[in-house]
Amino acid sequence: MRREFYDTLLSPGLWLICALLAALPLFLSGYHLQIVTLALTYAALASAWNIVGGMGGMLSLAHSLFVGIGGMFASALLIRCGINMWVGSLGAAILAAGAGCLVAWIGWRFRLGHLLFALITLAFAEMASIVAMNCEFLGGASGLFLPPDKGRFIAFEFGGMHGTYWVMLLLAAGCIVSNLAVLNLPLGYRLRAVRDNADAAQAIGVPLLRTQVVAMAVSAFLTSIVGSVYARYLSFVDPQLLVSPTLTVEIVLFATVGGLGRPFGPALGALILLPVGEVLRGQFGGALPGLHYFIYGLVVIVVVRFAPRGVLPTINGGWSKFRARRADRIVHAGTNTGVSVTSGAGQN
Amino acid sequence: MNRRLKTLSAAALLVLAGMSPVFAQNADKTVKIGLIEPMSGNLSSYGQEEEPAFRRVIDDYNANGGVRSLGGAKIEIVVADDSSQPARTAIEARRLIGEGAVILTGSLLTPHMAAISPVLDELKIPALSFWAGASRSDYLFTLGFPYDKGFAGTMAGFIDWLAKDNKFPIKRVVTAFSNYEAGQQVNRALIDRLTKDGFEIVGQVPLDMNASDYTAQMTRIRSMKPDVVVGLVSTRDGALLHQARYNLNFTSAIFVGGTGGYSDPVLWSQLGEKVASSVLTRNLFGMTGYSAAVAPANAKKLASSLKQADPKVRIGQSTFQAAQAASIIIRALEAAGSTDPEKLKEALARTSISPGAPDLYLARAAGLSFGEDRMLKDSTALIIQWTADKQQQVVYPPSFANAAPRNRQ
Repeated sequence: MRREFYDTLLSPGLWLICALLAALPLFLSGYHLQIVTLALTYAALASAWNIVGGMGGMLSLAHSLFVGIGGMFASALLIRCGINMWVGSLGAAILAAGAGCLVAWIGWRFRLGHLLFALITLAFAEMASIVAMNCEFLGGASGLFLPPDKGRFIAFEFGGMHGTYWVMLLLAAGCIVSNLAVLNLPLGYRLRAVRDNADAAQAIGVPLLRTQVVAMAVSAFLTSIVGSVYARYLSFVDPQLLVSPTLTVEIVLFATVGGLGRPFGPALGALILLPVGEVLRGQFGGALPGLHYFIYGLVVIVVVRFAPRGVLPTINGGWSKFRARRADRIVHAGTNTGVSVTSGAGQN
Repeated sequence: MNRRLKTLSAAALLVLAGMSPVFAQNADKTVKIGLIEPMSGNLSSYGQEEEPAFRRVIDDYNANGGVRSLGGAKIEIVVADDSSQPARTAIEARRLIGEGAVILTGSLLTPHMAAISPVLDELKIPALSFWAGASRSDYLFTLGFPYDKGFAGTMAGFIDWLAKDNKFPIKRVVTAFSNYEAGQQVNRALIDRLTKDGFEIVGQVPLDMNASDYTAQMTRIRSMKPDVVVGLVSTRDGALLHQARYNLNFTSAIFVGGTGGYSDPVLWSQLGEKVASSVLTRNLFGMTGYSAAVAPANAKKLASSLKQADPKVRIGQSTFQAAQAASIIIRALEAAGSTDPEKLKEALARTSISPGAPDLYLARAAGLSFGEDRMLKDSTALIIQWTADKQQQVVYPPSFANAAPRNRQ
């Protein structure tokens, strides 16, 4: 693991943001807290997707399948077999990782290009949706009702809004840390090499299959865990809710707008766009149907127009330019007064 | 750079404006009702049909002096769009309650009802759903048909009545249903009931709601040689199913189903004159919650008033379900004489509208009242048959019938 991983993890700024986020339930109303909880859910999902979609360049549209496995399979194990949902969610996550490996293997075995891989994964998600709709064990199209959340942690109940918020915050943080870890491990280098040029990467000895399978397994595992907690949060699961292409599109949109391949980018995208969408709907949805979608679309266009590489890379780029200019000014000032100054930006 | 800053500032202001608290206006003189509707998304037809009717009933009441037991307080409707997504329904419920809504209402189909229930239990605010097939919260009442007693009970009861009282030769039954939550639930209940009544279920044909043609499904149905085809079918699926029936010239079986796919007035225009007059008027009976043929006078008056105000407004079952919910909420407010949620909940539970009452919009022989399960005690629906002039005649239950069922043709 590279030192940068520990440096980022131990950065005081990061801990301050975490502390502020953890304290939010003490200040926010139920409405705003629910929006932030949903935003954290998507932040976790987008971060998990980023491991394959952003770092690995594999445009997976199968992630709703993994959310569905986590949500529906774990819930079905609880309702049908009485299996504790902690155990069920772990089992579902292992199953999702297996499904992820299969998807990655198909992509590798048939040397699918980006577009074909996207289509194959979309087909997987659609098949899963049809299976779930007709599978009695998973509740079929009718879905499953989870027992009321009474705050029994041992039974995968988090005690309503506040508890669910903190669990979702932990999960989002976990997914971001996983991104950081992958980025700073040999897996991260290999993934980026494969993303940029798979043939060249293979020629220099990068194990293509292993790299893609491991990335997909990690991503699917995390996505499934988030799916289980999301199901507990909703108290109701059905295929239209969880195994839905809309869910995948939202995940990909948030990750792209936030900054693909960056550990914090996808989460930032979700934390910006989802609250904007919710607030717009709250303000305009009842007055003129569809107006909030229109404004939301405009906001996305504005963001993409002014930050085509994503919000985070644009902020980073702007910050670097600002520091470089400031350093230049200091050097100029030093030259004019005859004092030797070393640029701070250069040291970092 | 300046333009960027301006754009970003505008976006920030937009977000801040949204996050700012909404202050209650004229709190002393108004009672806020939260109306959560799917105004956008795949269920938006519900919202667009329901909102005008709900608003009309409330506006008329306000114009007549408001809630008398609250000193003439006016009822203010705060509309929220849940985009047809259950997770958003819960979010909007919290927002409306935060803005001072003392009671929530709206389409609230079963998944949406499930999502909103924990919020109602936590914040102890009563709600009235127009359509949920069950209640999962002590605070949630619903006007929806229960899947078993309401939908399956009416359809199976009608088939049994056709066979036993009207001597229709019915033995073999195929179920054909829209493959979604309600379709599957009703299908299960139908199979139970019809099997108990002595009919033979010879096949089940789920209709994929994303398909654009049901010729293959209709061919399969025809191959099973059923006497009756029955099931809950959405309006879109119904149009495709009847088109396939016309294409294959399959006329030997009787089709019984609900609700939109068999009895929505829009079917006639979707199918076109030629197809509709051929298949809708022949061996077909549709379940519905509303029929102009036997609608209470108040419902007819409401329909014509809405049409006058906006000729393009869609009048359907949801219109009257929404109007009925509005009148129940008015009664609850009057009876409670308070905006205290607990008192409103008790008033809702005690609501009873007798047959012939001026605020009864749904055709119910025994009037309206809620049972222990917070669902309507009388959830019998109507069965209609189409006539060549695009009208509907009620054939079942006998207490509402204005025509006898046409013989098999």
